[in-house]
Amino acid sequence: MTSRETLLELHDLDLLLFEARDLDAGARLRRAGLGFGDPSEVEKARARVFEQLDPRWRYHYARALTRYGGAIASVRARVCQGCFISLPRSAAPGSGESLTLCESCGRILYWGPREPS
Amino acid sequence: MHGTMVPSALDSSLYIPELKNRRREAAVAELVACAHRAGAVRRPEALIELIARREAMASSAPGKSIAIPSARSLSVIESRIVVGRSTRGIEWHAPDRQPVQIVLLVLSPAECPLSVHVEGILRLAAVFRLQRHRQRLIEADSYEAAAAVLREAMA
Repeated sequence: MTSRETLLELHDLDLLLFEARDLDAGARLRRAGLGFGDPSEVEKARARVFEQLDPRWRYHYARALTRYGGAIASVRARVCQGCFISLPRSAAPGSGESLTLCESCGRILYWGPREPS
Repeated sequence: MHGTMVPSALDSSLYIPELKNRRREAAVAELVACAHRAGAVRRPEALIELIARREAMASSAPGKSIAIPSARSLSVIESRIVVGRSTRGIEWHAPDRQPVQIVLLVLSPAECPLSVHVEGILRLAAVFRLQRHRQRLIEADSYEAAAAVLREAMA
């Protein structure tokens, strides 16, 4: 698995765990018969995926997660969806690269397949 | 804009009048494939795996023949609800053991606030707890009829 795929999986697992641990959301979903159970399997999967990451990306991911509660921001119309700054063309991943950091907020940028650079 | 998720999420290309599969996992894959064809999601395999993880941890079938699986993910491009029906029913491990006839897959992009995502799920759960809404959706013979039920119920 590439660093990009590993990071995307890690981010999805963190979003899922965030939802499972949110007390208000959990209580409301439980009342509707849609409550969460034990998150330990997802936590284990998350730990495994985190270990697979290249140390450089592990550092950036953990730093942005601690600071913002979410480490990856998608890019839409060359705007970082984390801090909403317009990204310069030079921020797009070059050939042979697939990941970049937002120079404004430090989140890892996810340039979707359809996103023009 | 994520604050108006439910009404704006309806789309004729995201409606499956009769799900082919009778197994939960395969039905979810069918719904995700539908969303992928409509351009609402990317990385469909990753999304199917994420939904399976959530299904293993949280119930998405509150009973009364409905299921509301969901995902908030970078794989989702825009907030969407994929609607699938199964007149034969799908085994979904619901607490009342009833097979599921209406599946409403709630998809939110990663940047959608959790509160908005959960609100969308809860609104659908509240609407389809009512027998008359469930029955009208099961009996709807076209997307237009199904969309009319959803719009009216969610208004």
